[in-house]
Amino acid sequence: MRSTRVLPICAAVAMALTACGTGGSSAAPAEATTLATTAAVSGEVTFWHAYSAGGGEIKALTDVIIPAFEAKYPGTTVTAVQIPDSDMHQKLVTGVAGGALPDVIRSDIVTVPELASLKVLLPLNEAMPDFQTWADKMYPGPLATNLYKGKYYGLPLDTNTKVTLANPSALTAMGITAAPATLKDLAAAGAKYGPQGKYVFAASGAGLWDLSPFIWSNGGDVTNADFTKSAGFLNGPKSVAAIQMLVDLYNEKAIPENILGGTGGVGTGDGFGQGLYPTIVDGPWTYPNAVTSFPELKINATPMFSGDGGSISVVGGEDIVMTQGSKNKDAAAAFIRFMLSDDAQVTMAKAGQLSAVSTLAPQMTKIQPYYEPFLEQLKTAKPRIPTPQYAKINDIVTKAAQSAVQGQVTVQAAMDDAVAQIDPLLAQG
Amino acid sequence: MSILEAGTVEQAEAVAVKKFKTRGGSSRRPSHWWVPWAFAAPGLALYGMIIGYPLLRSLQISFYKWAVLPTDASTFIGLDNYTRAFNDPEFWRSMANAGVYLVLTVPITMALGLFFAVLLHAKMPGRTLFRVLFYIPVVTSWVVVSLLFKYLFTTDGGAVNWALTDLLPFNLGPVPWLQSRWSAMIAISVLGIWKSVGWCVVVFLAALGGVGEDQYEAAGLDGANAWKKFWHVTVPGIRATILFVLVLQVIGAFNVFISVILMTNGGPAGQTEVPMSYMYKTAFQFLDFGYAAAMSFILAIVIFIVSFIQFKVFADKDEVKA
Repeated sequence: MRSTRVLPICAAVAMALTACGTGGSSAAPAEATTLATTAAVSGEVTFWHAYSAGGGEIKALTDVIIPAFEAKYPGTTVTAVQIPDSDMHQKLVTGVAGGALPDVIRSDIVTVPELASLKVLLPLNEAMPDFQTWADKMYPGPLATNLYKGKYYGLPLDTNTKVTLANPSALTAMGITAAPATLKDLAAAGAKYGPQGKYVFAASGAGLWDLSPFIWSNGGDVTNADFTKSAGFLNGPKSVAAIQMLVDLYNEKAIPENILGGTGGVGTGDGFGQGLYPTIVDGPWTYPNAVTSFPELKINATPMFSGDGGSISVVGGEDIVMTQGSKNKDAAAAFIRFMLSDDAQVTMAKAGQLSAVSTLAPQMTKIQPYYEPFLEQLKTAKPRIPTPQYAKINDIVTKAAQSAVQGQVTVQAAMDDAVAQIDPLLAQG
Repeated sequence: MSILEAGTVEQAEAVAVKKFKTRGGSSRRPSHWWVPWAFAAPGLALYGMIIGYPLLRSLQISFYKWAVLPTDASTFIGLDNYTRAFNDPEFWRSMANAGVYLVLTVPITMALGLFFAVLLHAKMPGRTLFRVLFYIPVVTSWVVVSLLFKYLFTTDGGAVNWALTDLLPFNLGPVPWLQSRWSAMIAISVLGIWKSVGWCVVVFLAALGGVGEDQYEAAGLDGANAWKKFWHVTVPGIRATILFVLVLQVIGAFNVFISVILMTNGGPAGQTEVPMSYMYKTAFQFLDFGYAAAMSFILAIVIFIVSFIQFKVFADKDEVKA
């Protein structure tokens, strides 16, 4: 009797599992798309972005740019959907899984290769006849964040990078007249002031966003040039020495515990404003943040601490991409072009978004003089590894570096272990 | 209608009733096999939609290298995701952290909950107000209080370190609470206790209301003091509720998530990762849905076994037999 009840249940489960598809049946090869450059576009364009809610960026987008676009292209409407930055990746993943992505996305630069590998983005260098015209106007670092397997899947919408920022009053209080300019200066300052219980610098974490500028500036690298191998690079002597310098600073108590994950300590921005951390390596957002939180703060910006590799920082920012599933690609392309136009870029720059269009540099510095050192740094700034496996690789590097900072393993051993995990991921493409 | 006619009608109804096949012979229920299923169908359909299908779907995903894109084919890999989990030290570290959280939170939460419930069960002025106050942490947002506790446990300038070093005579220096595994687990557990005590209080209060006053009076006549009354009258009287609270608290401990994500994000170096945070990152950051699904089923099996043991060990033997 029992078996006669169990059998139908097992059969039902098996049938249910069989009925659940595993995909693949409706996969169709992406057709080559060529997008019109004429003005004859109409219809709706959906645009997902993570501009700060309540900030000037959204106001600029919804009150100025979108109305101007709709006026230029009568019959078009743009539906802009604001998604909190912390939720954007999950929203994109569920959008991919559910086939519910918008036409255009303002994507974090590290997400573009992931979306491209999922085949949900349109390669703009193939679809837009005028792609090269736009690409030529961009800084090379931000443009490179769109490159995945030989195709460009987007264009830089806005950019940023990090430079050395110094709080002069905090330095003066320590008896330092000028901020450390080189990695050696920083190490020397740490050795002197750390044992006195004074921080000389603060790193916000131990991921590639934090470590890469130190590695590159010290003459090391994270991977080879085509991002296929990390062995011999991330665990090479120059890279290990750069991370070792940060570990030494931590052991000397010259940098706070934020390097262990950014929780539990006073944040780098707040600590910098309070004078607790006399120097940080951070982006242009530090200025508007300081205006509201620390109006008396004076900030001195200098290039990223230099070393044997020069002064090399990391590219941040967002790219604008179009989805394969867009029902209105011509209008979406027109919107992308409009977002990259000088007028829109200048409007956004006034709201705090640094343009990646290099020809606009003079206007950027007129709009915000503090943009200047960041624009200068952008000329040599590098992108992080443009791979769909970036999140996993970043997690591996973070854990390895934090283990070394905690003294559980040597930096060399931590990085040897990291590259052993990273290279198989890079091999997956 | 005459009495005789009435009797005839009753007999006719009785005959009509007999036409239904009955199970057990004494019931007047219609015996068509599908009738009870028809009554249960709406509930079963709802269960199937919101629990059954997602459960089966995630079971299926756990056997695949799952492709996020619906149009991409997923690869069947059998039990590979399960064997990978069994050999993944990070997964087992996350399970161990959940175990530590369980050991730190469940006994203290239940003990405090029962303690305050007994106090609030007594007739005292402002009893309702206190009940509300104890329940407030339960209804506050996990996100808000997690961020609040993160700031309380901040190394430089956090209220906890201030209290330890400036208010109390401990010369510990600033304790980096959230920067090492065990101190961070303590901080996360303190939040868990603070958040859950109120729920335990309410459930225990409801149970205490069911323990008869006559039992206390009888115990008093036998010379029992307050402790003996608590131990020999109260505890047996709410034994089933204690088991209920224990099982739910243990399940809740294995499912701790928001406080970890917001207070440490699993750091430093993944040392405070718990199963839910590890699964979440595996699925939504690394897009490894098959592996995350396999881990979720392993966790579910562990929870099932632990709950089963709790029922076996703590359940009232008489009730179990019944």
